[in-house]
Amino acid sequence: MRTLDLVGTAVSNTSRSKLRTALTVMAIVIGAFTLTVTAGIGSGVNKYIDTMMASFGDEDQLYILDETNMDQAGAPGSAGAPPEYDPETAGASSEFGFITLDAADIDVIQDIDGVESVNPMVSVNGEYLETPDGTAYALDQFDAPQNASGLEFAAGGAPQGNDEITVPTAWLEIFDTEDPHAVIGQEIEIGLSNAIGEPQSATAEIVGVTEEAISGLGGNPMPSIALNDALYQLQTSGMDIDDQYMAVTAVVTDLEGNEDAVKADLEDQGYLAMTVEDQIGAIQGIINMVTYILIGFALIALLAASFGIVNTLLMSVQERTREIGLMKALGMSGGRVFALFSLEAAIIGLLGSGIGIGLGVITGVAGNQFLTSGPLSDVAGLTLFEVEPAALGLIGLLIVAIAFVSGTLPASRAARKDPITALRHE
Amino acid sequence: MASPVLETHGLVKTYGHGESEFQALKGITTKIWNAESVAVVGKSGSGKSTLMHLLALLDAPTQGSIVLSGQMTSQLGAREFSQLRNETFGFVFQQFFLNPQQTVLENVTLPLKIAGVSKTERNQRGMETLEQLDMAEKAKNKATTLSGGQKQRACIARALINEPTVIFADEPTGNLDTATGEIVEDILFDLHTLRMITLIVVTHDEDLAAKCQRRLIMQDGQILREEHGVTA
Ligand SMILES: Nc1ncnc2c1ncn2[C@@H]1O[C@H](COP(=O)(O)OP(=O)(O)O)[C@@H](O)[C@H]1O
Ligand SMILES: [Mg+2]
Repeated sequence: MRTLDLVGTAVSNTSRSKLRTALTVMAIVIGAFTLTVTAGIGSGVNKYIDTMMASFGDEDQLYILDETNMDQAGAPGSAGAPPEYDPETAGASSEFGFITLDAADIDVIQDIDGVESVNPMVSVNGEYLETPDGTAYALDQFDAPQNASGLEFAAGGAPQGNDEITVPTAWLEIFDTEDPHAVIGQEIEIGLSNAIGEPQSATAEIVGVTEEAISGLGGNPMPSIALNDALYQLQTSGMDIDDQYMAVTAVVTDLEGNEDAVKADLEDQGYLAMTVEDQIGAIQGIINMVTYILIGFALIALLAASFGIVNTLLMSVQERTREIGLMKALGMSGGRVFALFSLEAAIIGLLGSGIGIGLGVITGVAGNQFLTSGPLSDVAGLTLFEVEPAALGLIGLLIVAIAFVSGTLPASRAARKDPITALRHE
Repeated sequence: MASPVLETHGLVKTYGHGESEFQALKGITTKIWNAESVAVVGKSGSGKSTLMHLLALLDAPTQGSIVLSGQMTSQLGAREFSQLRNETFGFVFQQFFLNPQQTVLENVTLPLKIAGVSKTERNQRGMETLEQLDMAEKAKNKATTLSGGQKQRACIARALINEPTVIFADEPTGNLDTATGEIVEDILFDLHTLRMITLIVVTHDEDLAAKCQRRLIMQDGQILREEHGVTA
C-alpha cells in the first residue's frame, strides 16, 4: 500500500467512530492545552524579567551585600544553628535585621584585585524640583545612578559631573517645551528634608532627557553618582549617624574574565557578590521551577491520555478483526497493518495537540491581552504569555510521539492477527 | 492443462494440542491443473475450507508440502506469501466480507490499493471490472445498500481486479437464493472458460459442483474419491 493511501485509510478509519475518537482526542487536548499555556507563561514572564532587568545596571558591575544576609534570610538548606553573636555586626544591622555595609567595608572591597571603583547604593527621597521660572513640582524618587548605562536619551547624555541630572521626556511639560534639547543646560533646584526634618536644597544642571524604558528606568530624574551622594549627605545630615548601605556596586575590569576570581575574593572577605545576570537568573530560576512543576502535571495528564489511546485502539482492533483479516488475506503485510494502526494513533495525537495548542495559544494571548490592558495595565511592558513557535512545535512533536508509542501495542496486536481466525471471527 | 498450478504432497493439518488435538487433514496429495475448474465437496467438517486455506497460502500445513507453479512454498517468507496472495489469487467468500462504510468501488479496488496502484488507475480498472459484471451503476453506492447477489458480484469483481491466475471460492452461493446463485455460478464459469482462470470452489451445492471439470469428494480430512467430467 502506498504511504499516501495508508494515511488516507487511517484518516477515514479515525473518523469512523467519531464520538470515541473525539473523547480520546479530548484527553490529549487537555494535556496539550496545559503544556502550551504553561510554556507560554514561563517564557512570557521570563522574557519580561529579562527585558526589565537588562535595562537595570551595568553589565560590568557586581552587586555586593554582606554575606550574613544570605545565611540568615536562609537560602533553603542553609538553615541550622545561628551564627555566633558579634557586637560589631549586630550594631550594623538595620531595624529590620538586614546587615548593612559601611565605609570600612567599602575600603576592603576597593582593595580587592580587579575592582576599579565602589559606589554605595543609597536612595534619596526628594520633595520638590524647582524649575528656572521658580515653580516647584512634587518629586518622589530618583532613578539609581548605577543604572545609567541602561538609559535611552531623547537629548543629551548620562549625568557624570558633580551636579548633573537627567529628566524624563514626560517632564518636558513643566519646562513649557516639547523640544528635549531646549532643557539641556537649565539649572534646577532639588529640595528635600534631612534626618531631623529640616528643609535642604541643592542645585543641579540638566544634561540629558531620558525615554522611559519598559522596566520604568528613565521615568524619573537620575542624578549623577556624585550628586546622589551629595543629596544623600543632605538627607542624613542633622544627626550623627554612620553611613550605612544595604549594598554597594563595584565596577570590575573585564568582569567576564575576572568574575570568578573577584567573587571568590569577596566571599573570603565575607561578602556576597552578584552580577546582573546572577540576579536575573535567581528570579528566573524560581519561575522556571514553577513552570517545570506545571509541565510535570501536564505530562501526567498526557500519560493518562495515552492510556486512552491504547484503550480506544485496542477496541478498534477488536472490532475490526474481520477487516484486518480481509486485508491480510488480500496480501497486506503485517508491517503495513502495523503502520496503519500506528498512524491512526498519530492522527489522534495530531488532532489533540492541534486543538489543544490552538486553544492554549488563544487563551494565553487573550488572557495576556485582558490582564495587561485591564487589571495589570500599570505594569509597564508586562508580558504574561508569549507564543514561541519552536516550543509549540516541540509540544506537538512530543504529543504525536507519545500517541505513536501508545499506538504500538494495539498496532502490533493488529499486525499479528491471523487472517483465517480473523475471517472466522463472528 | 499441461502443467499443475498447485500440487500438494501429504498435506496434514492439526489443530490444537494434546487432549484437544484434532487432525483436520490427514495427508492430502493432489494436483490442480492450470485453467482447470475443481470443486471440493463433502460434508460439513470434512476439511474442505482447511484444504482451501492451505492451497491459498492463508495458512501453513503441519506436515507435507505445497508447490505453486513449480516452486516449493515452504521456502517462502511471510512477505512473499502476502505478495503471492495479492497478485496470483482471487478470493470469493460466502460471507462476502465487504467493508460496509466504503463504496462498492472502494471495496472492489482494495487489492489494488494494497498492491500500491495509483488511485486513478485503481478507479479506472475498478470501473472496467464492475462494468463486466453489470455493476457499474452501483460503483458509488455504499456496500450495505446492495442485495445479496450484488454483494457477491462485487466480491467477484474484487477477486478479479488483480487479474489472478487462481480464484478460490468458499461456498460462493451459500448465502444466495437459487436464482441468484445460478447467476453468480454463470459469472464464475464464464470467467473460467473465457479467461482461462483456474477455479477452485468449495461447495455443498451439487449443481455448482456438477458444473466443474473435476470434483474432489472429501470425508474426514481425506479425499474419498475424484470425479471427472462436467455432469451438469
Ligand atoms: N482453528 C481451528 N481450531 C480447531 N479446529 C478447527 C479449526 N478450524 C477448523 N477446525 C476443525 O477442523 C475440521 C474441518 O473444518 P473445515 O475445514 O472448516 O470443514 P468444512 O469447511 O469442510 O466444513 C472441523 O471439524 C473444524 O471444527
Ligand atoms: Mg467450510
